[in-house]
Amino acid sequence: MAVRPQHVHDGGIVERRLRPIYDWLDIGNNKKALQEAEKVLKKSPTLQAARALKALALFRLGKGLEAQVVLDALADEKPSDDTTLQAMTISYRESQQLHKVCMLYENAVKSEPANEELHSHLFMSYVRVGDYRSQQRAAMALYKFAPKNPYYFWAVMSIVLQAKTSEDNTKRGILLALAQRMVDNFISENKMEAEQEARLYIMILELQEKWEDILKFIESPLYSQLVPGSTAQASIPYLKKLGQWKRLNVVCKELLWDNQDRWDYYVPYFDSVFYLMKENEEDSDSSIDNTAEKCHEFICQLVESMSSGRTLRGPYLARLELWKRLAVDGDPTSLIGNGLALCVQYLRVFANKPCAVPDLRPYLGMIPQKEREEKCREFLTCLGFDENSEPESADDIQRHISCLAAWRLVAAPLSSTGALELAATLRGHYMRCLQKGLVTSNITEFCAADHYGILAAHHYFYAGVEQQSSAPIVEALCLLELVLHHSPANFHAKLLLVKLYHLLGNAVAADSIYQRLEVKHIQLVSLGWLHCARLAPACLASRALQLLADTRAFLKHHGKDSVEHLTYAYKYGTFEKLVELAGWAARLEGCGWGAAAARDQALLAQLAGPPALLHQPSRLPALPTDNRDLNVIVNYEPPQFQDDNLKARTFDQEVSYLRLKDALVSAIALCIELADSRPVEEKKGHYEQLNTCVEAFSTAMEKCRQLYAERERISISAPFPSRIIAFVNSPVPYRELYATMLRLVGELAINRTTAAHDACDAVARLLPKAQLQLQDEIAVKGDPVWSMRDRLESLSNYLEFIGIITFLLGVCNELFSPASAKKSKKKTNHSPDEIKTSELLNKLNNTVQTSIAFLENILDEWPKYEANIDEILAKLSLDDKYQSPVENKLKTGRDDMLNDVRNILKRKSKYLKSLLQ
Amino acid sequence: MTTIRPFTCEDMLKFNNVNLDPLTETYGLSFYTQYLAHWPEYFQVVESPSGEIMGYIMGKAEGHGENWHGHVTALTVGPEYRRLGLAATLMNILEDVSEKKKAYFVDLFVRVSNKVAINMYKNLGYIVYRTVLEYYSGDPDEDAYDMRKACSRDVNKKSVIPLTHPVRPEDVD
Ligand SMILES: CC(C)(COP(=O)(O)OP(=O)(O)OC[C@H]1O[C@@H](n2cnc3c(N)ncnc32)[C@H](O)[C@@H]1OP(=O)(O)O)[C@@H](O)C(=O)NCCC(=O)NCCS
Repeated sequence: MAVRPQHVHDGGIVERRLRPIYDWLDIGNNKKALQEAEKVLKKSPTLQAARALKALALFRLGKGLEAQVVLDALADEKPSDDTTLQAMTISYRESQQLHKVCMLYENAVKSEPANEELHSHLFMSYVRVGDYRSQQRAAMALYKFAPKNPYYFWAVMSIVLQAKTSEDNTKRGILLALAQRMVDNFISENKMEAEQEARLYIMILELQEKWEDILKFIESPLYSQLVPGSTAQASIPYLKKLGQWKRLNVVCKELLWDNQDRWDYYVPYFDSVFYLMKENEEDSDSSIDNTAEKCHEFICQLVESMSSGRTLRGPYLARLELWKRLAVDGDPTSLIGNGLALCVQYLRVFANKPCAVPDLRPYLGMIPQKEREEKCREFLTCLGFDENSEPESADDIQRHISCLAAWRLVAAPLSSTGALELAATLRGHYMRCLQKGLVTSNITEFCAADHYGILAAHHYFYAGVEQQSSAPIVEALCLLELVLHHSPANFHAKLLLVKLYHLLGNAVAADSIYQRLEVKHIQLVSLGWLHCARLAPACLASRALQLLADTRAFLKHHGKDSVEHLTYAYKYGTFEKLVELAGWAARLEGCGWGAAAARDQALLAQLAGPPALLHQPSRLPALPTDNRDLNVIVNYEPPQFQDDNLKARTFDQEVSYLRLKDALVSAIALCIELADSRPVEEKKGHYEQLNTCVEAFSTAMEKCRQLYAERERISISAPFPSRIIAFVNSPVPYRELYATMLRLVGELAINRTTAAHDACDAVARLLPKAQLQLQDEIAVKGDPVWSMRDRLESLSNYLEFIGIITFLLGVCNELFSPASAKKSKKKTNHSPDEIKTSELLNKLNNTVQTSIAFLENILDEWPKYEANIDEILAKLSLDDKYQSPVENKLKTGRDDMLNDVRNILKRKSKYLKSLLQ
Repeated sequence: MTTIRPFTCEDMLKFNNVNLDPLTETYGLSFYTQYLAHWPEYFQVVESPSGEIMGYIMGKAEGHGENWHGHVTALTVGPEYRRLGLAATLMNILEDVSEKKKAYFVDLFVRVSNKVAINMYKNLGYIVYRTVLEYYSGDPDEDAYDMRKACSRDVNKKSVIPLTHPVRPEDVD
C-alpha cells in the first residue's frame, strides 16, 4: 500500500524532506527509510510526520515495541495534519490496532472541526472496525457542513447495516423505516443523483419486503433517469414476488423478442407460463401465454424469426427446457415431440460448436435411461458419422467430437474391454489428425482434434478403474502428454494429467504439470483440492509445505486487505457491493480449506519442516465454508452416475478430518505449554485441557470410524476419497497411539510419574505392533502401481505419526531434563523414579528409531513403476523426435519422493539420538 | 443461451474454466475487488443455463477532459463458448455503459501477437491507435496495440486519429 498521501504537493520544505523516507518505504527498504527518518529528526526532532514515518519503518522492521512507543507519544499529542495521520493509520492498520485509528481521528476532528477531509477519514476509520452507529454519526456530521449526496447516503447505508445486524425485529423495523424516510425525503426534494443511490433505496425496500413500492419506484421517471433503459428487466424479480404472472409473462415476452438468447428472461417467462397454466383461468387475452401450446407456439415464432445472421442457441434450448418442465408431470411428446429427438435435433444444429455438448447435458437426464441407452447411437450418427469416421476439416472434426461425446453421455457404460477398444479407436483418431496436420493448435489455443485424446483418456480411465489396473492409466498419460506437447494451451489435458499422475500416486509428476497450470491467488483456494491437498498423502511433504504456505499467505493477505475494500465501496458509493464484499470477506475468513491448510502445515512441519515451534493456527471457523471448484474437470459419465451429493458429502468428510487435525494441533500446542518451567500446581489447568482435548480426539476418531467405513467410488472429476477414510479405518491404532503419547506428556508435566511410566510403556509396546499392522496395510495386493496411491497414503499417515511422536519426545526431554538444567552442568542426584522415567523414555526413543529403520527398509523395497511403456509408445507410432516424458517422470518422481522421505527419516533419527540420555 | 449479470465475488471461485486459458491473467484478489467496488457496472459475466461461467468483461472509466474514456481491462470467453458472439455482446455492454457515462472513446490494450482478439476488435469497429513498446513483460517483452473506438460524444472522431509513432509504456497514462 502506498504510504504517501495523495495530495500533498505543497512543494514545501517538509514535503521535500520527507520525500526520501517515502521513497524508501515505497520500495520496501525499511532500513533506509528508518535511517532517513532519523536524519530528518536530528534536524527537527519534533516533526510529527517524520516520527510517524519512523514508527512505520520500525513496525515493518519487526520492531513493534519501539514503534509503539513512538506512536503512543504521537497519539498523546493529538496530531491533526494529514501526513502524520495517514502514516499513523498505516502503522495501526498493519499492527491490527484499527480501533486506535478511530481515536486518532476523533481527536483530530475535535481540534479541526471544519476539516472535511478529517471527518471523512473518521468515517472510514469506523468502517474499518464495523462500528455502524458511529459511522452514521460521523456521516451526518459531515453532511451538515458539506451537504453532498455521498455523505448523506453513507449515513443511510450505516443505518441499513445497523438494521441488517440487529436481532431485535422492532428495532430493525424502526431503523429501516428511518433509512427509507431519509431517502424518501431526498426523492421528494429532487436530490437523487446516482444509480447506486437508487439501488440502495431498492435494497432498503427489499429488506422490508415492500415489493409494490419497489415496482412503483422502478416504473417511475426518476428510476429511468438514474438507470436508463433497464426498467423492464429490473421489474422481473418483483413481479415474481408479487405473483403478477400475467404482467411478468408480457414483460418477458417483450424482452425475449429483442433478446432471443437470454436465459435470464426465459426462466421467468417459463415460471409465469407454468403458474398461469395451473390457475387454469379462461382468458380471452390472447397476448398472454397461459398454456403449453401457446408457449410452444411462442418459441417456434422465435426460432422462425431468426432468419438471418447467427443461429442462436436460445430458442432451441428453450424448447428443451419446455419439454423438461412439462415432463415433470406428464408426457409432452404429443405437443412438442419426443425428448430424445429434440436433443438429437439440437445436436444436429449446433454440433459444430464446442458448447453443444455442455448445452445438452442438463437435458439428457430427462430422457428415460432405457430409451437413452437403446437409442444412444442416434446421437452418434445424426450427422452421418460413426465411431470410425475420419473427418477431414476442423468443422467436421468438431461435429464428430460433439456426436461422440453426446453418444458416450447417454450410452450404457462399457465393459472394460469395450472401453479399451473405444479408447484405442479414439486414440487412433487423434494420431491420424496429428499425422494429417489436423492438429492446428498454437501456443495459446488448442483445437478440436485434441478432444479425441481427451475422450480416449476418459475411457482408459474407466477401464483402469474397472480392472483395478494401472496399464490403461499409463496409456492415458502417454496420450495426454502427447496432446499437451502439441497443444500447450490445453488445460483440460493438464487437469487430467494432474489427476491421473496422482491416481498412480506420483505427486512429483503431477507437480510437473500443475506448475504449467499457473495456479495462483484465489485459485490456490478453489483448486487446492486438486493438487496441494494430495501432496502430503503422496508422501511429498516438502512440496506440500511450500504450497500450503502459499495458500495461507494468500488468505492472510486478503484478510488484511478486505476492510480496505469496504472503504473503497463507500468512497465510490457502490452500496450493493459493500454488502457483497463484506460477505465475501467472511466467506474467505471461514474457508474450510484455509483452516485445513493451517493445520496440515503445522503438523507436517513437525515431520518435514526445519525445527521450529508449532504455530497454533487461529480458531476453527464455526461453519467452515466450501470454496472448492469441483466442476473444473469435465466428466463424460452418463447421468445415472451423477452424484448430486458429492460436493456436500466430500466437504462433510473434509470438515470431519479438519476437526480431527485441529484436536491434534491443539493437543500438541498444549503439550508445548506444559513443557515450560512453571511449578506443577500452575500447570493443572493446561493438564485438564489437554486431557479434554485428547478425549475429544479419541471420541471423534471412534465416531468417524463408524461414519466413514465405506470406500468411496473414484471418479475422474471428483476429489480422491477424503484422507479421513484411510486414517480412521487403518489397522494401525492411531487413536491409541496419539492419545497415549499425548497423555504421556501431560502426566510427565505434572509429575504423575506412575501414570507417565504406564503411558510410556504402553506406546513402546504399541509401536512394534503398529509396524506390523502398517506392513500389512501397505502390502502389495494386485497391481502394485494401481495401489501405489493407497499405499502411499497409508505410509504418510504413519510418517506423520513419526513426526509427531519425535517432536513430543523432544517435549518430554525438555520436561524431564530442561535445557537450562543441562547447561548448568550441575550434577543432580536422580531419584529411582526419575531413573526409571529416563530408562523408559530411552526405551521408547529406541523403539521409534527401530520403527524408522523399519520404514527405511520399506522404502528400499518400494515397488517400481513397471508398465510396458515401450509397448504403449509403439502404439502411439511416433516417428518424429518426440520423446514421451511419462516413463522418466514416473521413475524420477518415485525416486525423488523416496529420497525426500529418506532425508526426513534421517533427520528424525539424528534428532532422536540426540535426545538419548 | 446466456444469462448476463454483474460479476460477483463468488464468481471468482468458479471462473477457472475461463481463467486457465493462457491469454487470461488471474490477478490478485484485490484487483478484482477494487474493480467491483469502483466500477461494478463495468464488470459483467455471461453464464450458461447450468450456471457455468462462459466469459466476462472487466473495465473502468477514467481520464480527464477529452480523455475521459471507457477502458477494457480484461475480456475473456472460455474455449467451449467461443465464436458465439459472447465477446461481442460483452463489448457492447461496455460501450453502452461508456456512452451513458458520456465517455469520448473506449480503448484497450492487446498483445500484438493476439491475432484473434485484434481481428475481433477490428470487426467491432476498433482501430489501432498506437503501438506501445514492450508493454507486456515476459521473455521476451511484447508490444501492445492500444486500440480505440470513438463514442458518440466525440463527434469529430478526434480520439481515433492514429499516432504515427510508437510510445513507451511510461508515456501511457
Ligand atoms: C478474443 C475472445 C474474447 C473472443 O471471444 P468470442 O466470444 O469467441 O468472440 P465473438 O464470438 O464475440 O466474436 C466476434 C467476432 O470476432 C471475430 N472472431 C472471434 N474469434 C475469432 C477467431 N477465432 N477467428 C476469426 N475471427 C474471430 C469474428 O469476426 C467474430 O464474429 P463472427 O463469429 O460472427 O465471425 C476469445 O477468443 C478469448 O477469450 N480469447 C482469450 C483471451 C483474450 O485474448 N482476450 C482478449 C485480450 S485483449
